[in-house]
Amino acid sequence: MTRFHIILATGLVAMVLAPLVFPSIQFVLTIAMAKGFAALGVALLLRAGLISLGHAMFFAAGAYGAAFLATRLGVTDILLILLLSTVLATVVGLIVGMFLVRYRAIFFAMLNLAVSMVAYSLVSKFYGITGGTDGIGVPVPTVFGAVLDKAAFDNLLYYLALVLVVVVGVFVHRYLHSPLGHALSAVHTNEVRLEYLGVSAWSALLVGYGISAALAGLGGAIAATSIGHVLPEYAFWTESGHFVLTAVLGGIAGIAGPLLGSIFLEVVHTAAVGYFAEAWNMIVGITLLVVIFFLPRGLFGLVEKLSGIKDHQGEPKL
Amino acid sequence: MLQTIIPLLVDALANAALIFFVAVGLTLVFSVLRILNVAHGSLYSIGAYVAASVGLWIVAAGLPEWLTFPALLLSAAFVALLFGPLIEKTLVRWTYDKSEAVQVLVTFGLFLILEDLQRMVFGVQSVYQDTPMSLLGISQIGGIVYLNYQLLLIALAIVVLIALKVFIAYSRTGKLLAAVVADREVSQAMGIDTGKMFVIAFTIGVFLAALGGALATPTSGVSPGLGAETMVLAFAVAAVGGLGQVEGAALASIIVAMAKVLAIYFAPALDAVAPYLVMLVVLIVRPYGLFGSGATRRI
Amino acid sequence: MQHFRLKALAVAATALTTLATSAMAQDKPESLDIGVFTFLSGPAAAYGMPGRQGAEIMIEQINADGGIGGVPVSATFVDEAQGAEGVISEYRRLAEGEADFMIAALSSGNCLALAPIADQLQMPTVGWNCDTHQLFKESHDYFYRPNGNTIAEFMAYTLYFLDENPDVKRVAIINPDYSFGHDAAEIVKATLKAVKPETEVVAELFPKLGSSSYQTEISRLAAARPDVIFSNLWGGDLENFIRQAQPRGIFAQSKTVLALGETVLQRSNLPEGVIVGVLGDGWWRSPDAEQIGQAGEFAATYNAKFGEDPVFPAVKMANAFLVMKAAYEKALETTGGTWPTHEQVAGALEGLSIETLTGEMSFREDNDGIVDQIVGTTTMVEGIDYPVLGNMVRYDGAALLPPLGEDPLGWIGTLSPSIFDELPDPGSYK
Repeated sequence: MTRFHIILATGLVAMVLAPLVFPSIQFVLTIAMAKGFAALGVALLLRAGLISLGHAMFFAAGAYGAAFLATRLGVTDILLILLLSTVLATVVGLIVGMFLVRYRAIFFAMLNLAVSMVAYSLVSKFYGITGGTDGIGVPVPTVFGAVLDKAAFDNLLYYLALVLVVVVGVFVHRYLHSPLGHALSAVHTNEVRLEYLGVSAWSALLVGYGISAALAGLGGAIAATSIGHVLPEYAFWTESGHFVLTAVLGGIAGIAGPLLGSIFLEVVHTAAVGYFAEAWNMIVGITLLVVIFFLPRGLFGLVEKLSGIKDHQGEPKL
Repeated sequence: MLQTIIPLLVDALANAALIFFVAVGLTLVFSVLRILNVAHGSLYSIGAYVAASVGLWIVAAGLPEWLTFPALLLSAAFVALLFGPLIEKTLVRWTYDKSEAVQVLVTFGLFLILEDLQRMVFGVQSVYQDTPMSLLGISQIGGIVYLNYQLLLIALAIVVLIALKVFIAYSRTGKLLAAVVADREVSQAMGIDTGKMFVIAFTIGVFLAALGGALATPTSGVSPGLGAETMVLAFAVAAVGGLGQVEGAALASIIVAMAKVLAIYFAPALDAVAPYLVMLVVLIVRPYGLFGSGATRRI
Repeated sequence: MQHFRLKALAVAATALTTLATSAMAQDKPESLDIGVFTFLSGPAAAYGMPGRQGAEIMIEQINADGGIGGVPVSATFVDEAQGAEGVISEYRRLAEGEADFMIAALSSGNCLALAPIADQLQMPTVGWNCDTHQLFKESHDYFYRPNGNTIAEFMAYTLYFLDENPDVKRVAIINPDYSFGHDAAEIVKATLKAVKPETEVVAELFPKLGSSSYQTEISRLAAARPDVIFSNLWGGDLENFIRQAQPRGIFAQSKTVLALGETVLQRSNLPEGVIVGVLGDGWWRSPDAEQIGQAGEFAATYNAKFGEDPVFPAVKMANAFLVMKAAYEKALETTGGTWPTHEQVAGALEGLSIETLTGEMSFREDNDGIVDQIVGTTTMVEGIDYPVLGNMVRYDGAALLPPLGEDPLGWIGTLSPSIFDELPDPGSYK
């Protein structure tokens, strides 16, 4: 147990207790975790130096997947919904990724934006299928066949999301420390040298892209079942921008970073509503600039300082 | 047949003119600074708000109504001179040696700040200022009534395109800009003050965005959210034309506008999708746009 | 030891019962907190702000009269322009916090999204403006709409127009691209097909809600040369459309039916002869409103405070407040004066029937309100410096609603041209 692990464990315990102490914060934290998954997905690509301005489309794919499963296909179990929606988002991600991971720098950002805006406008326009800008309502899913009321389901979903945070966190941690994961950061530092080593940058990136889409999709499915409604604006470009912002705000060096950023933003948002609702975007914008200028490692950098971690060698940077 | 085609063309060109002003500014800034300015759309809507407010003030103050025309241009110039150097010198300059991720994020942060700033300064209600439109009257083309103001916009877009080309090809500053675009390091070594070039290019970009917004006000209302909508459209057009390509932006504006107009005439369900479908198709065939070319990979 | 345990148990039991009774009996709260959802920014605010202003006047009036059951009303306004995700989050935040009652929402899309959530959170909610007939396809126990729906409204406009212009051939439709616009288009087409089958729809356009330019759509409308243009554009969209369409001769070329036209009469110089509606009976100058006698005072207070006359969204909002007040008073009667629970308030809304500022409203079994439909044509009259409704008709609300449980569009299909014999004629409502 290092100090870092103790801090992580404390954070987890705080998350377990939070809704018991402040019941009204449960919904906010559920959404924060959902968006945190998407931000984590964006952070993976940032490690490879790739900025995606279109990841909201995978978030939306997961959300619409959940809505279609629950309303049209008769799949009502929450675990099945989350699993299948994530698979759907992954498949969409792999298909899109096959075309896009060939590109770098601003072209990668822009092509992602292009595809996501096509997705956004198609979803908004096909009123007959997607409900257009009205979206689709998502009924309360069942749990192992048991029908719950919304309040009970929300409780369950919160702790399910928290378990998923741990499980997915461990998985992503493993992935990043595997050869494939290292290849991801190597694309950023020196892509040509990577290929001289016999590693295909394309396939390394495709795996990374698929995983990041899966994470966004899982987040989307959780958000859909928690909010109870899915909408085209889930795929709008500003939403994608917010995922990138969340990832950078939290810090991309550690897995906890994007999640931390997401929780921070949602909680501050909740606190600010009513007082600074008019200036909310401005507050976020200024925070973002401050973090970029003065805290290049994001909020996670603060955690590292607390844990006494100083060795940043070989870690990904923006 | 001709009865259908002529209005179609006029509509497409009128649409293209409006899109062109924003897209060309975005693409110009990218060609010189190598930065995609996500806040470009906000500068468009600020231009629109300022122009509309000045126009309303002119009418309310009982000044001659024709003054609303120069007011459109002066509003755009005012926005450019106020925001161009300010943004470039404080924020953008700092990101030149940073990665694309940082550059995009800094301008995204700026976008968020500017969106709320507009709400604070101009309020949240729609603003209308259509004096220039009503002063100019109407014309009949192909049996359909058009506003002369729409035709004026088409002419203005052509003027701006030619002026930009002439400026880059013949003026001293234009030539220096072209040199910086061609090779930043070498031009610096030759003694060109690249920092100054960046301020100039960025300010021209802001001017074009604000001008686009100002010129749009006589035929449409201004309200919150306009910046975010405009941004993606400008993106789409700049990407189709090839980032950094002025002629590309012009051609792409016409193609995208044509697609939108065709959709409204023949497949109204697709009107909002049309610009992005064009972008997707073009980018699949030519990922760097019609006139663009990809950068070489670094070793 | 034994004794001690018993005593502890007794104490605990007393504590529990005290807790339980205080939870059950519900002491009167210090204030009745409501969430009011409307568009406060963007193009739609042109329509949403009068709603908010109407709410402010009503809250002042209710509190000046001693509140509801002695409890003053206090409102939190939520901006619907932030998009449905934000609207839902705000609704949940308020519902899980202080709020006792919701007046939500303006947009049909938002009502569709909020109705199931109202049920889930057991929060009595009144949809103050939304009209889509799809809202009560599934039954909701906590969501009520004192408005009537798109079926009655758009049948009314179509029938009024046909009654006045029996020779119509070419029809065009331009509606916003969401449930309200699409529903209305279907109803207009179904009504035309049933009572005037030889008409042809020559253009059907659905611009995005909040579009700023309609120039290409206007060219398309001009090229299609329709005899009539139906539109349920609203708010800033409608203002924008009128400002762009008028100089291009659209109103001279085609008869125009603007379903929500009454809202822009004071702001844009709409010519005479345009058919306009108020989505229901919410016109404060109507003969019925005059007879009831409260709308005039409401309008005067409104004008004194905001510098313009109320438009129908303000009246609809005021009527929604009257519905809420009536529900609480009915619930208080049932409970014998103890403060009602959310469930009891929702129960009181069921089957409620009241006199509003502008007419009668009664909830059907499916929680949809029945109200009359007023349609008129813009006319200048002496003493008012903007056009008002003339040549009016007031259709009985129940006559234009399909029987409970019947598919609405299917029901419209069963109508025949003989329906005109049963309906009052334009100009009959004076």
